[in-house]
Amino acid sequence: MAHLRESTDKALKLLRTLPRVQIGNLRPNPNSKQNDKRGRAQHGGDKHGAGNKGSGQRQNFMRLGYETGNQPFYLRFPYEPYYKGHHMRREYPPISMLQLQVLIDTNRIDISQPIDIATLCNSGLMTLKPAELQYGFQLTDEGLDNFKAKINIEVQHASEAVIAAVERNGGVIRTAYYDPRSLHILSNPKKWFEKGVPIPLRMLPPQDAVEYYTDARNRGYLANPEEISKERLVLAQKYGYELPRIEDDPNYEMLTAAKDPRQLFHGLEPGWLINLVDKTIVKLKTT
Amino acid sequence: MNKITCAFISVLQHSNKSYGSATLLGRQLSYKSDLSLDKIYPNARLQLYTPPPPPPGSGDKFNGYIPMDKLEISYSRSSGPGGQHVNTSNTKVDVRFKLSEAHWIPEKTREKLLKALSNKLNKEGYYFIKSDLTRSQQMNLADALEKLRSLIRAQELDEPTEPSEETVEKLRRRQEKAARERLQLKRSRSQTKRDRQA
Repeated sequence: MAHLRESTDKALKLLRTLPRVQIGNLRPNPNSKQNDKRGRAQHGGDKHGAGNKGSGQRQNFMRLGYETGNQPFYLRFPYEPYYKGHHMRREYPPISMLQLQVLIDTNRIDISQPIDIATLCNSGLMTLKPAELQYGFQLTDEGLDNFKAKINIEVQHASEAVIAAVERNGGVIRTAYYDPRSLHILSNPKKWFEKGVPIPLRMLPPQDAVEYYTDARNRGYLANPEEISKERLVLAQKYGYELPRIEDDPNYEMLTAAKDPRQLFHGLEPGWLINLVDKTIVKLKTT
Repeated sequence: MNKITCAFISVLQHSNKSYGSATLLGRQLSYKSDLSLDKIYPNARLQLYTPPPPPPGSGDKFNGYIPMDKLEISYSRSSGPGGQHVNTSNTKVDVRFKLSEAHWIPEKTREKLLKALSNKLNKEGYYFIKSDLTRSQQMNLADALEKLRSLIRAQELDEPTEPSEETVEKLRRRQEKAARERLQLKRSRSQTKRDRQA
């Protein structure tokens, strides 16, 4: 970026000293114009660069790519799109219910607070690599029979059985999307806060993911909360458990705490600047 | 908002063990962006609640709702291969209920069920469904309930009605045509044989 600035400055300096652009000052790029005239006399004449006899002099060339009969290289291989769109394939590294239960039992995760990517990465046992197209965590169904914890968890993908397992214990599960920049921030929040950049807005999901995150059955963060409440009952009936009355839970506020679709951290708004050294928050002045 | 209200709200926010939200006069004071849920769904109930069970369906149709406290569910070990996992985990599910006292099934359907399952009830009048389809207890319970629901719904299907007049007429014409052709073939064979005689 610095070198671009320098070359721009140099070009502008040159422009100030050079003469005005006129027809007589212009010249095409070297080797862009070919001479259409047929060569004459000693050096351009006689065979005119076409050699002796054969298909060359007779201007009867084989088509480009032809390999004198055998199957040419450009026709040998059928369509093999192994890597087509590979740069757009999102990965969700898995966390099993068993792992989650172990983390909770060994006090590596505090369940009195909502759990999200930042919590899981701060525990030190999970790493997320957004640069390798990892878009967050998914909760897998290994060990869901023995899962016994009441949590408020936010992951990026969860199957129906997993959602049922979390809700039967009185917990709340949500699926939310984070764009790569937000993931980078959340995977190591302390390191990012040390940069001194204001918290950015979280972006909306890409088109192919919008349907997933607006569906109440997946407990999407953009879905209608009323539909989610109804789907909780549907799932309870499907999987055969009595839906615990979450309104009567003393931790109701914590369990239903959800981030705004544009928010990255609980309790912190986009646009705020966190100063870790002086332990202050710098906010935009609102008139 | 004047400075006093601002200060009051900020004190309130800090005093709460807030997860980014506080309530004042019933209103949420958390961060609300241009895409917050109350803007996308303006008329929806934003707080999670437990909806009441649906009312028993119109007329005699089973609405699919089964009250879990009316069923007796027990777990046991499954059969089949699987080593330590199958030997030590209770993945088989047994769902029992007394059919005559199951008021969550509509009356008519219940009577039909009593007739259809009369040979399958045990001495106390309990009907049971077992499932050890999957490795997971939760999924097996879902399977057992699915079996129960499809059993109840099967009783509510309409009986097969008599064929319509048009169908009856069509079948009669087909039979007549078949008879005609058979007789024609028989006659021609008979004629061939007669022509061979002296």
